[in-house]
Amino acid sequence: MNEKELFFKEFNDGLHKIGRITLVLAVAMLIAVPFVIGTLTGFSPDLGGFIKGFANVGLIYIPVAIVEFLVYTPMLGVGGSYLSFITGNVTNMKIPCVMNSADIAGTTSGTPEHEIISTISVATSAVTTTLVIVAGVILLVPLQPILQTPELLPAFNNVVPALFGALGLKYFAKSPQIAVIPLVLMSALCIFVPSMISQTSILLIPSGGLALLIGFVLFKKGKI
Amino acid sequence: MEQYLAGVNSLTFYAIVAVVLGFITVMCFVFLIKSYKAGVAIGMDPKVLKKTIMASATFTLLPSISILLGVIALSGTLGVPFSWLRLSVIGALQYELNVAEIAAQNIGLSGLNLSELDMGAFVTIALVMTMGILGGVFCCIFFLKKYLSKIQAKPKKTDGAGASKPGFGAHATTAMFVGLCAAYIGSYIGQVMPGGGSNYMPLFVAIVAALCMAVFEFLVQKKKMLVLENFSLAASMLIAMAAAVIVNLAI
Repeated sequence: MNEKELFFKEFNDGLHKIGRITLVLAVAMLIAVPFVIGTLTGFSPDLGGFIKGFANVGLIYIPVAIVEFLVYTPMLGVGGSYLSFITGNVTNMKIPCVMNSADIAGTTSGTPEHEIISTISVATSAVTTTLVIVAGVILLVPLQPILQTPELLPAFNNVVPALFGALGLKYFAKSPQIAVIPLVLMSALCIFVPSMISQTSILLIPSGGLALLIGFVLFKKGKI
Repeated sequence: MEQYLAGVNSLTFYAIVAVVLGFITVMCFVFLIKSYKAGVAIGMDPKVLKKTIMASATFTLLPSISILLGVIALSGTLGVPFSWLRLSVIGALQYELNVAEIAAQNIGLSGLNLSELDMGAFVTIALVMTMGILGGVFCCIFFLKKYLSKIQAKPKKTDGAGASKPGFGAHATTAMFVGLCAAYIGSYIGQVMPGGGSNYMPLFVAIVAALCMAVFEFLVQKKKMLVLENFSLAASMLIAMAAAVIVNLAI
């Protein structure tokens, strides 16, 4: 191991240490937020609702988190990974930002130079986002009375359909072969068993499972 | 409803969120400064490092504005401070809304409807949203060091005959989201039927959002207006939400 490699190993070990400590602290703070709010307002989380909700969410998002971790961390390096996974928007912002910076700096994944560029890039990106959102939130505060008028209620009551309409178009267009059967079956189920309409969180499991199965079969046949 | 909105937008709540985000911003600066110094120490050109900072800041500006639009979309139901926190840390708009909806249903609400929310529901939804997104962070805390040292020790395969075919992993995430969207769209179609309450609004909003997204996709893919890519999701949502207000006023 030459001098540069030795220096870089020590540097990375230092980042791992700081990364772990700060992530543990950040996680503790994030988990504390709902409890602090609950204590201040005199409410505590509904444990049954939390367990049911978390089970449904975990079933979908824990595998996604593991896949993202396995795929993205080699591109992001040590510092970039710790920062990206705590600041979020990994796929839609941090990865493209790192790729852009690596292009500009001319570094290749796995080298010490790339690790440095990646960490600087992710840190700058996260700070920029924070500043933009802070500025936006300051501007949003005086607009609150307008945002809370009853006329705007239909907009905020339909924010989830707006999300899944837009996302649906994107994903269905990307993989129409996967989409057709789950969409037809879920629609039929909701038409013929209306009680399922308010149980979307339960529908997600068979629908996601079916889409995964179809995707796997198509992948094995070489059709996607 | 007014009491709930006052609660989720209280000053104390802004202060709590500011403390958490302040901590994470300091963390970013520590990593930034340490990496900059290490770059100089291993002989990298400071001009390249400064250029990286500038390029990253400018590259992030537009997507950040789209995240801000997401904060606006989320703030109507969960308040500004919590939306600010959720979209600044770990999450992304699609995750936050989906999880909030799942959590709301699991505590007995029909969904993330402002008219049904109260502080008790909010606290549970906030906890589910927070805990559900921590998977990647826990992976980093417990496995990053080992995983990266293994990956970096592995000899890299070159492109060409020796390179392996990409696995099912990338397709699995897409398939999972296709299933997710199918379940929601299916429920909106069901709601239009008399048995589902003849509520056409969710399907109408979803169709408007999908049409807007189709226009954005056309402009990005065919007309190469790549700058729009960052805004397509948030802008489609906001237009569809505006359409809901207009239709509701018109009837």
